[in-house]
Formats: sequence, C-alpha cells, structure tokens
Amino acid sequence: MPDQIHSETNLHKEAEELLPWYATGQIGAEDQMLVEQHLSNCAHCRRQLAFERRMVDEFAALTPQVDTGWARLRRRLESRQSWRQRAARELALLRQSFMRPQVAALAFAQLAFVIVAGSMLFSLSRPSYRALGSAPPPQSANVIAMFSADTTEPQLRHLLQSNGAAFVGGPTPADAYLLRVPAKSREVVLVHLRADRHVLMAQPIDGASS
Amino acid sequence: MREGPNVNVPGTAFRSRTADPPQSVLDERELLERIKAHDMDAFERLYRIYQPRLTRFLVNLVKRPQLVEEVLDDTMMVVWQTAGNFRGTSKLSTWVFAIAYRKALKARARWPDPLENEERDSRVSNDPSPDAELERSRVHDALTRAMDALSTEQRAVVDLTYFHGLGYRDIAEILSCPVDTVKTRMFHARRRLKQALSGTLADWL
Repeated sequence: MPDQIHSETNLHKEAEELLPWYATGQIGAEDQMLVEQHLSNCAHCRRQLAFERRMVDEFAALTPQVDTGWARLRRRLESRQSWRQRAARELALLRQSFMRPQVAALAFAQLAFVIVAGSMLFSLSRPSYRALGSAPPPQSANVIAMFSADTTEPQLRHLLQSNGAAFVGGPTPADAYLLRVPAKSREVVLVHLRADRHVLMAQPIDGASS
Repeated sequence: MREGPNVNVPGTAFRSRTADPPQSVLDERELLERIKAHDMDAFERLYRIYQPRLTRFLVNLVKRPQLVEEVLDDTMMVVWQTAGNFRGTSKLSTWVFAIAYRKALKARARWPDPLENEERDSRVSNDPSPDAELERSRVHDALTRAMDALSTEQRAVVDLTYFHGLGYRDIAEILSCPVDTVKTRMFHARRRLKQALSGTLADWL
C-alpha cells in the first residue's frame, strides 16, 4: 500500500511538471498519455492546467515594445564587410593592373626611378665630414690582375691571403680585378702572383698611391 | 516603431508555432542555405522572422532595452557569420535561441539588472488603454513584476515555454542543461508566479 501511494505521488509530480508543455502541445506522445491518464482523476492538476492555459494567453499578450532594428544591424554588417571587401577589391585591382604589360612596364620604370632617385638622394645627403671613429675609406688599388676561369673561390681566397692582398674593385670590362697589396712588398707579391697557375696577368698600377 | 503582427497579436505566438507547417521549417532551411552564400536578402528575411521572438526572449533576460538591442544584434551577427557551421542536428530555432541565451548571460555579467521599475515603461507596451483594457493592463503589470522576481534561468524556461511554445527537450538544448532541470525550474517558477499573482488573479487561481 505505501508503495502504491509513493508511486501515485511520483506520478502526480511527474504529470504536474509536464502540464505547461501539455498546455502548449509541445509534449511527447508517451508523456501526453501519462498526463491525460492522471488528469482524469486529479482535480488539482485539472485546475493547474487551467492556470497553464491562462498563462499562455497572458504571455502571448504581454507585448514588449519592439524596434525592427534591421537597418541598425545591416549598417553594422555592411561596415564590417565594407573594409574587407574594399581591401580585397583594391588588391584585386592592383593585381589586375600589374598583369597588363603597359602598366607593368610603367610600374617597373617608376620603381627603377624611385630606386635611382633614392640612392642619389642618399649619396647627396651623406655628410661630407667624417666623424671620429668612422671606418677608414677604402684604399686605392695598386695591382691589376686576371685569373683563369677555372679558379675556385677557396683557391682565390688562399692566393690573396697568402700574399696579403685584398680586392678593391672589379671585375673590369676585361674581367680584370683591382687589388691592394702592401706597398713595400708589391714587387715580391707580383712575382708570387705571376708564378701562380691561376693568375693570367698581374701588373702594377702606375700612379696608385702606395 | 513597433514590429509587425508576429508580436502584436495576442495569443498567436505558441499557436502559430504548434501549428507550424513543415513548409515554414523548409523555408527557414532554404533561407539558411542562402545565408551561407552571404545572401543579404535571405538574412533580412530570417532576421524579420526571429527578431520579434528574440527581442521578446531577451527582454525577459537582460532587461535593459539598449542591451536587448545589442545582444540581439550580436546574436544575429553570429548567425550570419557561422551559418556554415549549422549542421541541422537540431532545429534552427533551437540553435538561434541557444546563441541568444549565451549572449544574454554574458551581457548580464557585464551589466546587472536596472533598479526595480527603472526603464519598465519601455519594456512593456503602455499604450493608453480604454477602460475595458485596464484590467488586462493590471494583470500584465503584475505578470511583468512576477517575472522580474524569478531567476534568469527560470525566466528563460518560463518564456520559452509559455510564449515561444518550445518543448522541454529544445529548452534543455538551448540552456545546455538536462531535461529534468528544465522541468524542475519550470515547476518552481510556476509556483512563484502563482504566489506573486495570487492577489491579481484570485478569480482563476
């Protein structure tokens, strides 16, 4: 008997919890059957169901002031989209423009002009004085030399280092290089250079400061 | 400006939903497909379907009219931006309301409720009522106050049930909680509403 009472109490609680959705029709078939069976013998739940139905009507009539707001949201969407679209459009236009040969040539010429003008401006704007501690200016070449075509970089490096020589300029139009060697040992260095099989030619440069 | 007939016709909200023909669901799905392709006209149509329902839902959660607009816009922005992520495993309305609920909770964390009665006039229609409407107006005021006394979670469940006509499973999904929690919240909320309305609605309680 107590079990039966307990079970009926649970059933009542379960049915009462479901009443709002029974009233709105948003209830599963099984739950609906449970509620309907219970309603047939529970006056409390029948009154409660009347309350639920009244609440549904009252809530439907409880109308807030509503602003359409679409214009506001659309402005927000478009402002977000517009900068992205503008950027994408500009990029696309730029890309298209550079694909056209005339524009590409013009752009290249402009770029070249900017580089040349920039470097001229840079060199003109360099101060004519030298601050203390500035790096010393490159020394003048006192030897001109030509190397065979099969000379490798390590061989060249070894040749210069062993003679105390350093590149100053070149290659010239004749593929010769300007070297700076210690002035006092220039003659000896020249002998050494000429004796090396990679050196095609090594001559002192007259007039070079030493 | 007031919204169209979706909101202003008393008693139609849940009835129209319960009688929703499958076609309306199909229409919404079709709109969503177009929104995925960034069709602004389709988005406007979806907005006009959901705006009254979401406004109504949010008014009961965040209370401040300015904040309602902000959360509504934020919600629809998410819909616009993440429409491609909607896989259709739940109803579209459930997905949209779940976004709105999360946005509302975040907004509430930033902005607590206004003091009692502050801004109430702008929340609920207070058009001059003829004598025959005075009683209804009185009931609505009482109902509004009674709702205000509920917790955010209870208000959400009550409104989604009575006004929006959603089932307990959909509500559980929107609120990210078990179905039994929805039932329990509703049970306690109804009890509190009944107590709060006992003076006003004595004739039918």
